[in-house]
Amino acid sequence: MDKKDPKYILLFIILISLIFGVAISAVHYTTLPMLKKNEALHKNRIISKAFLLDVEGESPSDYEAAIENNIQIDSIKIGDTKTELFEHMDSDNIGFVFRGLGFWEPISGIIVMDEGLTEIINLKILEQKETPGLGARIEEQWFTDQFKGLPLKWSADQKIIIGTTSNADKSNVVDAITGASQTSVALMNMLNENLTQFKESFEKRN
Amino acid sequence: MADTPKQIFIKGIWQDNPVFRQVLGICSSLAVTNLMANTLFMSAGVIFVTAFSNLTVSALRNLIPARIRMIVQVLIIASYVMIVDILIKAINPDIHRFIGPYVGLIITNCIIMGRAEAFASQNKPWLSFLDGLAMGIGYSLVLIVIALIREPLGFGTLLGADLPGRETLWHQRTIMVMAPGAFFMLAIITWISRKLQIKTEKAE
Repeated sequence: MDKKDPKYILLFIILISLIFGVAISAVHYTTLPMLKKNEALHKNRIISKAFLLDVEGESPSDYEAAIENNIQIDSIKIGDTKTELFEHMDSDNIGFVFRGLGFWEPISGIIVMDEGLTEIINLKILEQKETPGLGARIEEQWFTDQFKGLPLKWSADQKIIIGTTSNADKSNVVDAITGASQTSVALMNMLNENLTQFKESFEKRN
Repeated sequence: MADTPKQIFIKGIWQDNPVFRQVLGICSSLAVTNLMANTLFMSAGVIFVTAFSNLTVSALRNLIPARIRMIVQVLIIASYVMIVDILIKAINPDIHRFIGPYVGLIITNCIIMGRAEAFASQNKPWLSFLDGLAMGIGYSLVLIVIALIREPLGFGTLLGADLPGRETLWHQRTIMVMAPGAFFMLAIITWISRKLQIKTEKAE
């Protein structure tokens, strides 16, 4: 058949799309169980790190066991969306999954507070797709460690400040990321909004 | 006459280097080079995709209708990138979280499309595969040199590890982490390499 013939062109494009489509689907479906496993492991790892759990090993079952033995998982409504609520069985620390829009795409993470909601125990990022090397550094430990022990000022508009402030009291301020002011501001706004809504729902619930 | 494998590598890495000679793949050269780890993974991805898309385009070159050749090339390149993306996500999700956003961008790297069109559509599969490898390596070497300067000057680290005297000796310069730092570095490298190339051309 002539290569300039429209029938040949049409047939060729259909065939090649089909071949590559099938190849990609095959790779996707073969790796699907791995992807699901990775996702679950990642989530369990973040929950364990957020609650500073002692995990015996590095295997998925170690993380699962640590969570099962220490954390009670429930759900709570924040604004209009349902989110996961975690409670540490011994310390009664409370954590929940916060969500919001980052500079590029949605960001989610886990924030853990003490039983009386007076201070932040820990904060960990679950998912983010910010700029690698800049905004994506919100995942790094030096950044999230800044939130440990931060007092929660429920009466203030900004419970947490990421970056600079003219306020005299700097106890609830953490450093922003150099070169990623937009991600820092987005994270700050989502945290403040999620915390306010969480407190309302949590108090109603109790 | 077709190039020998040695000539192909000399061209890819030096004479026709995709970054400082052909000025292709600039977007990703600017974006990923503020951290060495990102640079290395991006380089590996580009080398793989350039080599295999060249191989495939070359193997199909007598079947691809001329009118739709570019559509077919994009389809082949995008398919390889998607496969790379899925595989990294399945095998090493931690690395994927690190460089995920850039993997998709490999599709838009002009070097890959450029080589498919300029070389693979006119040469045999084996040579096309080598050309893809050489161009990928040429691209990677420039990126590594830029990252080697940007990460230490911008963050005071290399491959994420603190350099000796990070707090006292390395004054971290934000500009090196941001886009302007990348533009300066790229311009300096292009300048030096052109100077050297002109010198060798004159000598010949």
